[in-house]
Amino acid sequence: MLFLLPQAIASGIVTGCVYALIALAIVIVFKSTDVVNFAGGELVMIGAYIGLLCIVYFGARYDVMVVVVLAAMILIGCLFQRITLEKITGRRFSASVDLVPLVVATIGFSYMLKGIVRIFPYTEEVRRLPPLVSGAPIFIGPVILQWQDVAILVATMLVMGLLTYFFQFSESGKALRATSQNPRAAALSGIPVARMRMLAWALASAISGLAGILLAPKLLMTPDMGGVVMLAFAAAIVGGFTSLPGAVVGGIVIGIVQNVIGVLMTPQAISVTPFFIIMVVLVLRPQGLFGDIIALKKV
Amino acid sequence: MYGRLQTREIAALVAILAFGCLLPYAAPEYFVYLGNSLMMYAILALGLDLLLGWSGQFAFAHIAFFGVGIYGTAILQQRYGLPFLVSMPISAAAAGMLGWLIAWPSTRLRSVYLALATYAFAECAQWVFRTWDSVTKGSDGLRISPTAIFGYVINSDQRAFPVVAILLCLVVLSLQYLTKSKLGRHLCAIRDSEHVAAASGIDVRQVKITAFTLSAVYAGIAGGVYVLFQSFVNPDVLGASQLVLVLTMVVVGGSGSLIGVTLGVVVVGLLPEVLRLAPSTLLVWQEFVYGLILVLVVMFMPRGLWGVMNKWFAPKPAMALNASTKTDGDTVDAQEVGR
Repeated sequence: MLFLLPQAIASGIVTGCVYALIALAIVIVFKSTDVVNFAGGELVMIGAYIGLLCIVYFGARYDVMVVVVLAAMILIGCLFQRITLEKITGRRFSASVDLVPLVVATIGFSYMLKGIVRIFPYTEEVRRLPPLVSGAPIFIGPVILQWQDVAILVATMLVMGLLTYFFQFSESGKALRATSQNPRAAALSGIPVARMRMLAWALASAISGLAGILLAPKLLMTPDMGGVVMLAFAAAIVGGFTSLPGAVVGGIVIGIVQNVIGVLMTPQAISVTPFFIIMVVLVLRPQGLFGDIIALKKV
Repeated sequence: MYGRLQTREIAALVAILAFGCLLPYAAPEYFVYLGNSLMMYAILALGLDLLLGWSGQFAFAHIAFFGVGIYGTAILQQRYGLPFLVSMPISAAAAGMLGWLIAWPSTRLRSVYLALATYAFAECAQWVFRTWDSVTKGSDGLRISPTAIFGYVINSDQRAFPVVAILLCLVVLSLQYLTKSKLGRHLCAIRDSEHVAAASGIDVRQVKITAFTLSAVYAGIAGGVYVLFQSFVNPDVLGASQLVLVLTMVVVGGSGSLIGVTLGVVVVGLLPEVLRLAPSTLLVWQEFVYGLILVLVVMFMPRGLWGVMNKWFAPKPAMALNASTKTDGDTVDAQEVGR
């Protein structure tokens, strides 16, 4: 069993990178709009299906497909935030965050996305997206890596780098951070809060769509593949739920732990691992590895 | 206890009882089954609303306690031959105990963190039900044999119906008392502002733990009801989709109101039946329509259907905002304290 361990860790890092991308999307949305996005997994799913549609139905090239998917995802995210969530947050009459309607809205959104995909009989069969790059696998010592794995690693690092640049140096990134820290003060200093929230959703949806394209060649595509979001939630919780680097580290930790448990214990235990991790982390260290200490919002 | 039961609240109980005694003889078998499951969902949703609507705790563990109720009642009956009136209370108490245990760490958490921790607990519980083969028969499912109460054998939906109706009545009655009691007032105060509640001398943590425990007990009772009229249980019944269904009932009806939640149970529960009447070519849209309805309800009916109806019937428009805490004029309005 132990000789499988290096391979398990390596594939854990790769799948962990995808979880990290989805977790980043969830954390960005949560930080800037206070919404826990239970439709995060369905955004991944719809991204993958839009990619499949482009390639199989329109015969598009891969690079064109990536651009189309990102554009479509940005549109979907912006529209949902603008039409639905803005309406719900707009009527908040007290300082308390109205969590329940927001969460129910995202749950409803996830059913809508799943429902749209199910309308087409084509999706009843399990499909597979062709990989971004293919070729003979690479051998590094005892570890075998597919080219798609390398693509995932590169894409994740690229996204992380771009996000760091965006939040640290660009004007909109700083405005978005200001919005998430204090919407009222941000609005008073002339930041268009509603547009910033749309920007956050656009970013998150685009990252989810990218994760979908990267994940779909490795995973079986079904309308239910959004279940992967629980692993992303676990990753975000490990990272503290409000920290972007935390989400990435959390994703990789979850990926490795999941694979190692699959090797060392029964494969049956894999499905329950993320939930177990969520519970243990929240009970023992609610702020995660990198999160701020959770403070009760004042009246 | 603040204020007596109002006439219409007693009328609701009488209506449920009359409905429960008469319907089985008048309606076809399928409607009776539907009525049974609606009443079970009513107990489940009212219990969830105790946490969600009354105390403002966004907790998702409800479905796990429902599972404890189902499996506990079924296994106590079959393995140990205990009658329903013994096995159901024991399982409800076990669910309550589990709820109490979960409440200890959970009450330290808030909002998202509480929601995710309790959701994770529910998923873990489902996993236990699925893998603990020797007790729950795993994903093959457990067959439930007919039960009896004092010689009244319950082997059909018709015969189960009055018993379920009586249980629902007891649950509603207890909730009517509870929400008017000191505890109910404390819950509302915590929902509106924990700081103010604590400053007013309410032991916030203790009250939250009590609410968690009671809510779990109601879920356990709902599990017992499931055993009464179903003949089979499988861990798939205890999944996330079931939880979302109950949550939808609470939100669509109007959380924080007994009548509202009941209304939500009836409307959401009958929705699949109505959608089934649509032409079969439109059937594929079912999931989409379900999601759309959810989104539209939270967008346009912040207080659910009951809030909208209140707005229509209320003499003053200001009433609609406070629809969730109907209070008598002479007692302090908990929501006002919170502001």
